[in-house]
Amino acid sequence: MAKSGGRCVLALCTVVTVFLSASTARAEDPSSWREIETKYIFGFTLGSGIGLEGEKEVTVDSIGRFGKREGNYAATETKYEFEFTPSQFIQIEFGALGSTHDISGVNGLEDRSQIALSGAFAEFRYLALERTSSNPLAVTLAVEPTIRRIDETSGDRVLNYEFETTVNADLELLRNRLYAGFNLLYEPEFTKPAFGDSFHEATAGGSAALSFRIVSNVVLGGEVWYLRHYDAANLTAFTGDAVLLGPTLFIQFTPKSFMTAAWNAQVWGREIGNPVSLNLSEFQRNRVKLKFAYEF
Amino acid sequence: MIWLKYEKDLTAVMKKLALASICAIALLQASAAFAQQVTEIHLTYSKGQFQPNQVSAPADKPISFRIKNLDAKAMEFESTSLRVEKVVAAGTEGVVNVRALKPGRYEFYDDFNDKARGALTVQ
Repeated sequence: MAKSGGRCVLALCTVVTVFLSASTARAEDPSSWREIETKYIFGFTLGSGIGLEGEKEVTVDSIGRFGKREGNYAATETKYEFEFTPSQFIQIEFGALGSTHDISGVNGLEDRSQIALSGAFAEFRYLALERTSSNPLAVTLAVEPTIRRIDETSGDRVLNYEFETTVNADLELLRNRLYAGFNLLYEPEFTKPAFGDSFHEATAGGSAALSFRIVSNVVLGGEVWYLRHYDAANLTAFTGDAVLLGPTLFIQFTPKSFMTAAWNAQVWGREIGNPVSLNLSEFQRNRVKLKFAYEF
Repeated sequence: MIWLKYEKDLTAVMKKLALASICAIALLQASAAFAQQVTEIHLTYSKGQFQPNQVSAPADKPISFRIKNLDAKAMEFESTSLRVEKVVAAGTEGVVNVRALKPGRYEFYDDFNDKARGALTVQ
């Protein structure tokens, strides 16, 4: 896994270098830059942006999760989504989910190598507090119901309902230059496996991110996530927690297309009742996000 | 008996119609009042520039931009802080309605032309 993480970082560095060298040719005065849409500049942390009224966007958004305590573990989930902004306060997204699982020798998980169409999702975002030139803070409330037929972690055949609820806030610290992002997350789930009893679980947590716009079309940053896992939707059966940390990158290729990338590594974690370092039963050693979007 | 039932039904329908009419009138009056409060801003787009490129409007009132594109190619009126975008074809006029705004400065631009910029000051 260290190799794939290294390759990701190398690829990101190459892309940034190419864009930086292309951009330095231009005179860069931040006060002359266009304002930036903050939704995707913080990596896994989401900014408050909801797009522009009338705007439509298609995106491919992949999240890869790598590394358990033993064996080989690689799982990805990709959202093929359509986003649109029907009003100046609301954004709606929906789409299909595809997943891959490559698992061998991991305790508690069946060995498998599979690709599947794994579910569908929709997201509703409401801008509760908007940024103005005198108020640098913006806050958006979001809910994302998801249905899956393939378990995100194990790749087993299941029926899973998830209801992700988030608060996405961001702060413009330096005009057109420096931004801080904050997320709060509550994600209850209900899963009915093909065999055995159904169960509830939940993930809750928060994140903080800092992003610096180094040139008008490139934003670099870092983020930290603290996540807690429960074997109950009402947050009563705590099973473990983890801290993930890593760099983020956003590149605006053209006014209508961009990409965002992020890599989080677990730097601390604990499993209740199991005195080991890191929490690799509920979370993973590394996670990587790569998203490409085209607006029209 | 049958007549009595029809009379009751008719009265109920009439009551509903009267209520609907009152609601419709109230809505029309409200929309007329809303229309009166809208601040209209007229912009022309010519030779790749907005004219005027600095405009102002009162706070807490809806705004309607009317953008006349005099150029021979399409432009896209866009603003991240106003959260609007609209393509205006060559030689046509586009209307962009914006919510009531808080005081501040809101930049706008042509998304197809990096040099065309302007700003709305809300006081």
